[in-house]
Amino acid sequence: MAGTDYHCPHCGAELRGDPRRRGSRSGGTPGCPYDALAYAALRAGHDAVYFGAWRRIDAPPLEIRRGYHGIGRHLEAIGRELAGHDLPAAGRDLDQAIEAHRAADPREDARDALRFMDNALSYAHRAIDDLLHEKGLPPHQPMDFAEWYDVVEVPFRDDW
Amino acid sequence: MIDLERYPREITLRNGVTLVFRPMGRDDVDRLWVFFQQVPPEDKMYFRQDVSRREVVQRWADTLDYGLVLPILALEGGRVVGDATLHRQRTGWKQRVGVVRVQIAPDYRHLGLGTAMVRELRHLGEKSALHYLMAEVIEEQAAAVRAFEKMGFARAATYRNFVNDQGGGLHNLLVLLYRMSSSADDRNV
Repeated sequence: MAGTDYHCPHCGAELRGDPRRRGSRSGGTPGCPYDALAYAALRAGHDAVYFGAWRRIDAPPLEIRRGYHGIGRHLEAIGRELAGHDLPAAGRDLDQAIEAHRAADPREDARDALRFMDNALSYAHRAIDDLLHEKGLPPHQPMDFAEWYDVVEVPFRDDW
Repeated sequence: MIDLERYPREITLRNGVTLVFRPMGRDDVDRLWVFFQQVPPEDKMYFRQDVSRREVVQRWADTLDYGLVLPILALEGGRVVGDATLHRQRTGWKQRVGVVRVQIAPDYRHLGLGTAMVRELRHLGEKSALHYLMAEVIEEQAAAVRAFEKMGFARAATYRNFVNDQGGGLHNLLVLLYRMSSSADDRNV
């Protein structure tokens, strides 16, 4: 993946790439495609892991560990946000994400670790969508931001 | 008692269209009847009641009791484009089990509305101190199954050749369950 990690000075999103690149949204802060979106930092935190190099077939152990710790930080951020909301269903999703994350130990069996990491990220995504739903907003679509990342795979889309 | 103060509430779909979610009222008979008339025949085959008859919808309106059946409508202006219901029992052994049903207008499918309505029912279920939500879906309704699974529902059982459509054909019935935070398993951990 090209570029380096940096934080958007406006929305706090953790981004990876070229900070000089202009956001794809009109009026967006240069370098931040999440600017002005609800829960920008959570969306960006999700996508940074979602499009991470740990998903590559040939991902080295270092990238898998990096993805694992990235998910952990992401879940903590979601937990801090949920603490200010009365959303039991979202809390349930976060609990399941944490449970899956705990089951993922990249030092042991890499195959199972990747599966649990993927599950953790899916539950995390659901929690973010729960937050967005409460604001009446559509779910977060990571593929809308794919151009900001060197996408290593194209996940399926739900269509109901 | 479910807190309904959150309604009406606006929901924006993936295509940017904004809908209103609110409980069905007694004045919604005609718009709900029109909604059911738009449901394609292949979907109507799986309905429990003949919703093409206005008196069926009228009876629902006449007997509205949100404590037993809470119908949430998705409206674009005055048009119903989605209907999600949470069915409960006040007493008996299933009083902690809520049954959910969702129907989406054909031209509002593939926009995330089904998922949004399931998410809404899940929130209501959590707020109703239910332990489980249960959805019964014909196995061929793959998109509906995906939407429920995406929301955390898990396949609990499949009944082979269990239900018949209005043409007499037999179909497998999938039972999907969503376990709430307050379910017995969690409390015993």
